[in-house]
Amino acid sequence: MTDLDTVLADVRLGMIPAHIYNDEEIFRLERERLFSRAWIFVGHESEVPQQGDYVVRRVLQDSFIIARGEDGRVRALFNMCLHRGMQVCRAEMGNASHFRCPYHGWSYRNDGRLVGLPFHQDAYGGDAGFPRKGQTLLPAPALDTYNGLIFISLDPEAPPLPDYLGGFRFYLDYYTRQSPGGIELRGPQRWRIKANWKIGAENFAGDMYHTPQTHTSVVEIGLFREPKAAKRKDGTTYWAGNGGGTTYKLPPATLEERLRYVGYPDELIASMKQTWSPAQQDLIGRDGFMFSAATAFPNLSMVHNWPKVEDSDDVLPFITLRTWQPVGPDETEVVSWFAVDASAPEGFKALSYKAYLMCFGSTGMFEQDDVENWVSLTSTAGGSMARRLLLNSRMGILEDGTPVSPALTPDQWSGPGESHVGYAEFGQRNLLARWADYLERPASAPPRTSLGARSGGKGEVNGTSPNEGGVTHDQTMTGKAATA
Amino acid sequence: MTSIATDTTGNGGPYSADSPLGGHAPVIQRAGRSLPFGDERHLQAHQWLVDEAYLLDAQHYADWLDLLADDIHYIMPVRVTTAVGAGFDAAPGMAHFDENKYSLSRRVARFRTEHAWTEDPPSRLRHHITNVRTFATDDPDHLVVDSGVLLYRSRGDVREAALISAGREDLLRQVGDGWQLARRTILVDDSVLRTQNLAIFL
Repeated sequence: MTDLDTVLADVRLGMIPAHIYNDEEIFRLERERLFSRAWIFVGHESEVPQQGDYVVRRVLQDSFIIARGEDGRVRALFNMCLHRGMQVCRAEMGNASHFRCPYHGWSYRNDGRLVGLPFHQDAYGGDAGFPRKGQTLLPAPALDTYNGLIFISLDPEAPPLPDYLGGFRFYLDYYTRQSPGGIELRGPQRWRIKANWKIGAENFAGDMYHTPQTHTSVVEIGLFREPKAAKRKDGTTYWAGNGGGTTYKLPPATLEERLRYVGYPDELIASMKQTWSPAQQDLIGRDGFMFSAATAFPNLSMVHNWPKVEDSDDVLPFITLRTWQPVGPDETEVVSWFAVDASAPEGFKALSYKAYLMCFGSTGMFEQDDVENWVSLTSTAGGSMARRLLLNSRMGILEDGTPVSPALTPDQWSGPGESHVGYAEFGQRNLLARWADYLERPASAPPRTSLGARSGGKGEVNGTSPNEGGVTHDQTMTGKAATA
Repeated sequence: MTSIATDTTGNGGPYSADSPLGGHAPVIQRAGRSLPFGDERHLQAHQWLVDEAYLLDAQHYADWLDLLADDIHYIMPVRVTTAVGAGFDAAPGMAHFDENKYSLSRRVARFRTEHAWTEDPPSRLRHHITNVRTFATDDPDHLVVDSGVLLYRSRGDVREAALISAGREDLLRQVGDGWQLARRTILVDDSVLRTQNLAIFL
């Protein structure tokens, strides 16, 4: 591989070595230095509403059971039996009080506690050989939620999630907190594309420039009235904290009129006004910008659009959340959910779902054309010529770094971070600059957990003293591993 | 006569009726065992499916749209892996396709623009139709037809082709001399699709 320092320096200048979109060595570094440390979105509390409900989600190759225990708390449990490493849950979703390993029958409650160990006395000599009490499936090293969105990190030292998201929380609220009860998620649809994961993340983080070209057809068929070239460039791209996105400029009107313009019913508009801060309301009502696509670093993206779903002039807004789950340097699993405010009228929810299906997801008419481009890019990025080419990702700044369009002032943009009107690649550069920060920092050895090993005992793997239950975690999980 | 037990759902299931977008859908269900292969109704249904497969292979979508009833419900649930006895095998409230005639007509209209990049150049498609079973219903103008479909989709020169395997249940309605599709349920056999999108029909 080209020297990593050079690659990262080029990326920070907005000159992207094309091979980073299809490179085994880069992918290995992403696995070790990025996806083993960053906060990764795995689901929403509404997906496991009842005690015992679970869904199984992955962070790269690591499978986690996201389960709501009898105590009402949601946990992320590493889906690997403590004994021989089988997956204790091989379904994707369901409701269970226990997970039993099919190999030797060890069983665990839905809060992860080991409760069944066949022939414990005969085989292990009871607790003298293997202290059963207190053993649990490995919890995700860190877990936290924001607006019911469940994030986990494989790094027990990960910064608190609110700090990690930073100013982007302001924008995340538009998608996930339109009323105090927040959203419900449906799906996900999952499919695999032969494209590098970063391409989608970058696209949603700030690529307004592609909309009029890639998505010409959806305007031509009357699905979406907005993304004509002249209109799209009046919007903004913004970045705040660990995320950024794009907006549309709406015609002069009040907050209520603008929310009605994109199809929200009055009940939901009333909820938004009660839920959003004055600054959050001002961004739409005073400044005239409507949130569109966005990405939270590294791989959670979201969209808010308002297509026509029937043969009339009415438009209906929808929201999708999705992760770009890396499978390899040239393959990504798209995990795409439909999101809707839980308190919205059922008729609105049905039509919003319809709008989602027509625009995004596995059958979405926007998404179809995006992916075609990304597959093509990834394929060519794998060759040797791509190692000679630095892609120019400096749109929106002059050679000396001066922005083509100056950052909006607080009078023009009431949100945190920095926002610019017009076509630019601020979002993509910000995203990849963070990517470079993670890739630069070597991974430290992860903490290890050994089960049933006693301090000083024969065959001990881990030198630290066992706790009462005989399970040794290098880090305490208290307060991080579960959420109410 | 066959001794195979009467199957009241076949490839259909509750998906159309359960969909939040299925309120308009015809609810007619199959009655009795599959018709003998020599039955005229089976022969007509089978030929209809094969003729339709040609239109889908050739991407003659305007002609295909003419075969669809105005009240069609075209649904492809998102299949999920669940434990035996869970009582469901699709993501609740979610589908890949959950279409009426209008949304299908938009999809077809898009392919007729010059800017539907995902199918320009077009995929080479082959819908292989098999395991066709035809059932009478309580209404002589309607037949229920189960079939299997294996779609081979090849794009570009050396990209790995995509395969989509699914069971389908169709509700066919006699209109004049011919038949129209009034309801289709597509039970795809993958939980995670291995194709870049569903810019095709099944």
